[in-house]
Amino acid sequence: MRRLLKAAVLLVVSVAAPGTAYPQKATEQFIPVGQSPGVSGKLTWIGEIVGTDATQRTLTLDGAQGAHTAKITEKTRIFLDRSKLKQSNVTGTVADLQKGRRVEVKYEGPGPAPVADWVKVEITRP
Amino acid sequence: MPSQRGEAEPGRCAGRVATVVLAGIWPLLACEAPRPRTPEETLIARGRQIFFGETFAGNGRTCGSCHREERNFTIDATFIASLPKHDPLFVAEFQPALKQNFENPRLMREHGLILENLDGFSDLANRFTQRGVPHVLALRTSIASPQGPRTGWSGDGAPADGSLRAFATGAVIQHFTKRLDRVAGVDFRLPTDEELDALEAFQLSLGRQADLQLPLPLEGTVAKRGQEIFLDNTLGKCNICHRNAGANATLGPADAGNANFDTGVEELPDQPADLTGELMPPDDGFGTPGDGTFNTPPLVEAADTGPFFHNAAVETIEGAVAFYNGQAFNNSPSGRFLASSDPNGVGIRLDATQVVAVAAFLRVINALENIRSSVDLLTRSAAMGFAERQEALRLLRLAVHDTNDGIRVLSGAGLHPEAVADLTTARGLTQRAATSLFGRRRTTREAIQALERARSWMIDTQP
Repeated sequence: MRRLLKAAVLLVVSVAAPGTAYPQKATEQFIPVGQSPGVSGKLTWIGEIVGTDATQRTLTLDGAQGAHTAKITEKTRIFLDRSKLKQSNVTGTVADLQKGRRVEVKYEGPGPAPVADWVKVEITRP
Repeated sequence: MPSQRGEAEPGRCAGRVATVVLAGIWPLLACEAPRPRTPEETLIARGRQIFFGETFAGNGRTCGSCHREERNFTIDATFIASLPKHDPLFVAEFQPALKQNFENPRLMREHGLILENLDGFSDLANRFTQRGVPHVLALRTSIASPQGPRTGWSGDGAPADGSLRAFATGAVIQHFTKRLDRVAGVDFRLPTDEELDALEAFQLSLGRQADLQLPLPLEGTVAKRGQEIFLDNTLGKCNICHRNAGANATLGPADAGNANFDTGVEELPDQPADLTGELMPPDDGFGTPGDGTFNTPPLVEAADTGPFFHNAAVETIEGAVAFYNGQAFNNSPSGRFLASSDPNGVGIRLDATQVVAVAAFLRVINALENIRSSVDLLTRSAAMGFAERQEALRLLRLAVHDTNDGIRVLSGAGLHPEAVADLTTARGLTQRAATSLFGRRRTTREAIQALERARSWMIDTQP
């Protein structure tokens, strides 16, 4: 019985540990800024980039929801939203996080500088 | 010219005819106005309309292109073969912009596989998976987990917040696009909030709204034994991950909800799609990169929604049960976990008769669900008056499909021939009701009685 319970607990851990709610990020790439259902405006900030800190790896934006700072990690996905140019959205890099650009940041976790799950950068000029 | 005795005057004759016709039809027209819909029913009806009719300005596909109502909200190779060549399902065959890297027509036609770019769109030629179409029945019971909703074969099918509501947005981007550029507003339009609400409500309304409570008082000896094996955590061990033959797991004391497991399906040798020689990259399941796990589907609806597993690797329900006997499962993380809790170190080991018994149980509970669904459809149809005739007929046609499925899953294994006979009668009566102008409701009630008789052969219906 004890063995069964131990195995069950291990299985629960193995099932639950990777199993945090995990939205599929592949198609997220093609959703324009501000249109992510259930997320945009609720779990994201939308605004203009007002600063980046390369050493701290943070991004600060200012928008209707005020100024916010998020950490950029190697897991943060950066998408270039080119839908206003009627071009396909593509993945970007940290170099695309330029001051003055409009972005949407999906944040995760608590604290003054939560981690950015993804950042969509709106590209309006070719 | 004066009329002769016995010969009706034309004007009077027309008047009599009109009187007779009106006397017959007036009650139908006047007394049976459609019942007003509740707000929820209105939302569900709107969702149905979108699900089957809305292309989102894309390539012509709708949600119903792959999730066919008359095929239990899925499709398989047999059904696909019955479609006309310009069905939107086949856009990759006739739309030049989608000829490369959108679908593999051969795998779609031969195995019902649909291409998905779950790990990104950066290398369309090489980075994709091929998956079967999961049905969307009983979603009310089968997507909730402590970690959040799990949708699609790997539990991570929806973008945004990962919810069933958001699922349609990802589906439009993946499957509805006119070009592989996938530009919103050009290649498709994204669903609105109102449409997402309606689609979610519609999908949640489909199929069972609650799990079974096993054990059931089954009448058939083989199915009854199959149920015992299914519930035996030292033998079949099925109920651990498929509690009450649903999609939720009970792991020790914990309700794990709709969980993901690595059961080793990807390790199966000689998978039918692989044998074609077409490119079939490994499917790594949940997440990017994947962890090899896939989501647990409900089993009540399994027997009539094959082929089985995310890659449509197994065609029959008996084969799907037998999979858990094999090396692929017993060497998988899930198989090893089961072995670690077994006094003899065995994962799952069933003999052929036991495999067949478990499959018989699954066939019987599927047929019982077919009957439940058919009775529900017929009851709703019978409550509709002449003014709702078109909707009533639609429900009758669906009931024919459901009843037919019940016949198919039982006769496919020689189970309950008496029930099959009653189901066949019910199907005939339902078909007759659908063509009857005045006897529709009476014939529908007779069909319900035949379904109830069929059920009584399979399960003790006494209170």
